[in-house]
Amino acid sequence: MADPKRMSQNERLRHDRLTFYKDDIDRIDKLLAEFLRLSGAKCALLIDKEGHLVTKRGELRTIDIDTISALVAGSFAATKEMARLLGEDEFTAMFHQGERDNIQLSLVGDRTLLTILFDDRTTVGMVRLYASETAKKLAEIYREAMERGDQDPGLGEAYGTDAKKTLDKLFD
Amino acid sequence: MVQINFALKEVNCKVVFYGPGMSGKTTNLEIVHQKAPEENKGELTSISTDGDRTLFFDFMPLDLGNVAGMRTKFQLYTVPGQVYYNSTRKLVLQGVDGVIFVADSDPEKIDENIESYANLIENLAEYGKDVRELPHVIQYNKRDLPNAMPVAELDKRLNKFGVPTFEAVAYTGEGVFPTLKTLAAMVLESIEKVDGRNPRKAAARPAPAGTKPGAAPAAPPAKAAPGKPAPAAPATARAPAAPVAGKAPAARPGAARPAPARPVATAPAAAPATARRAPAPATAPAAAAPAAVRSTRGAAAAAGRVSSRPGRKEAGAARPRRSGTGIVVGVAVLLIVAAAGVAYFFLGNQLG
Repeated sequence: MADPKRMSQNERLRHDRLTFYKDDIDRIDKLLAEFLRLSGAKCALLIDKEGHLVTKRGELRTIDIDTISALVAGSFAATKEMARLLGEDEFTAMFHQGERDNIQLSLVGDRTLLTILFDDRTTVGMVRLYASETAKKLAEIYREAMERGDQDPGLGEAYGTDAKKTLDKLFD
Repeated sequence: MVQINFALKEVNCKVVFYGPGMSGKTTNLEIVHQKAPEENKGELTSISTDGDRTLFFDFMPLDLGNVAGMRTKFQLYTVPGQVYYNSTRKLVLQGVDGVIFVADSDPEKIDENIESYANLIENLAEYGKDVRELPHVIQYNKRDLPNAMPVAELDKRLNKFGVPTFEAVAYTGEGVFPTLKTLAAMVLESIEKVDGRNPRKAAARPAPAGTKPGAAPAAPPAKAAPGKPAPAAPATARAPAAPVAGKAPAARPGAARPAPARPVATAPAAAPATARRAPAPATAPAAAAPAAVRSTRGAAAAAGRVSSRPGRKEAGAARPRRSGTGIVVGVAVLLIVAAAGVAYFFLGNQLG
């Protein structure tokens, strides 16, 4: 892969950005649904490290997805810093235990986080076991997507003109 | 970094309000939260100290609506301004797509402004980003201070790259939306710049998102700040494209940066900083807002708990998987009895 420091601005932006295609997301969704069935967890969210949701499966109801995604990413970033201070590269899994609900986080590839919400219908062992298998399969999907190369179709010219109109409508 | 999700038909961007402590970053976000149309905004979440100083970040999602078939969302973050919190500030900057630098117009804060801007450059450089290539604007806040530094002077001392600048009195809302609008346009333009030249490949592109022209924010547009954007026009006229386009890889702008933050030295000063909030005229009226935010959060948390209860009743459905445990326990008991028998036999032999 090219060295990001030697790329032009456009190349770097394209390299940095995360693009997900429908076919890949369909495969990921199937994997997550299977994971939920096997593990007995309530909900699985795939979030990128910047705190943006990639996809979700399971019971969500009143959960504010945007906020939980941002907080999960923040919390993961903070633990990464802790890991660095301990001489680790990063912690690849995290677990938050609540009275009823718990959250298990696993790093998938190097840019996304598999976030699992579960309650006492299952156990942390079951969730961890199946989460680690699922993370491996997800990483495989990412690898295949990477190998397919740069297919980024872009957003098209209409996006820019439409964006200006939307901003005028929202802010004026 | 921008995330483009063709499955969810979403574009996600990350915007960070940066600047020295007490310059009004959180106040900016609170105003956006108060004034943005209900259907466009999410919850405002703060990770702050008891004294309402930002500890990690404040966060608010802002949904721009449907742009060319893609739901475009901005995640707005603030950073803790105090020098002491540089490590958390750096974390929040990860993957940033645009920065609003909120500077304090108080002449006594000019050094803090300069230091914070240098710190921004330094932290971005650690992520391999050049501030000149990142969409960013500067907001000169607290313009209502009687001794506010002249804009020309602030420009000279702070605006090294000729980016758009705005005058603001954040706690009244003045200048908040014009700043955000310009930055948002710059971020979207940076996406378009990459994509505009790229011809569409129909095969690789999923079906267009049932383009509904009316799907954009249906509500009346946000009532922008009471006062129109202060006379920021002269500064705004300087397009950011110029310094960005001429991106000669000159020496790092951070060359003039001050010494890096030293947590130990600054910790005592940072702790009692809570008290500094009151005397600052520009931030005092905003004190009521965080309380409201907290109550919203409390309600949400309570709602979350209620929602989790029905799930517990279904617990039985997942239990059958554990039916094999009876056999395991039975075998274990048999093994223990056998072991006890063997021990008894040997002990009996020895004693006999």
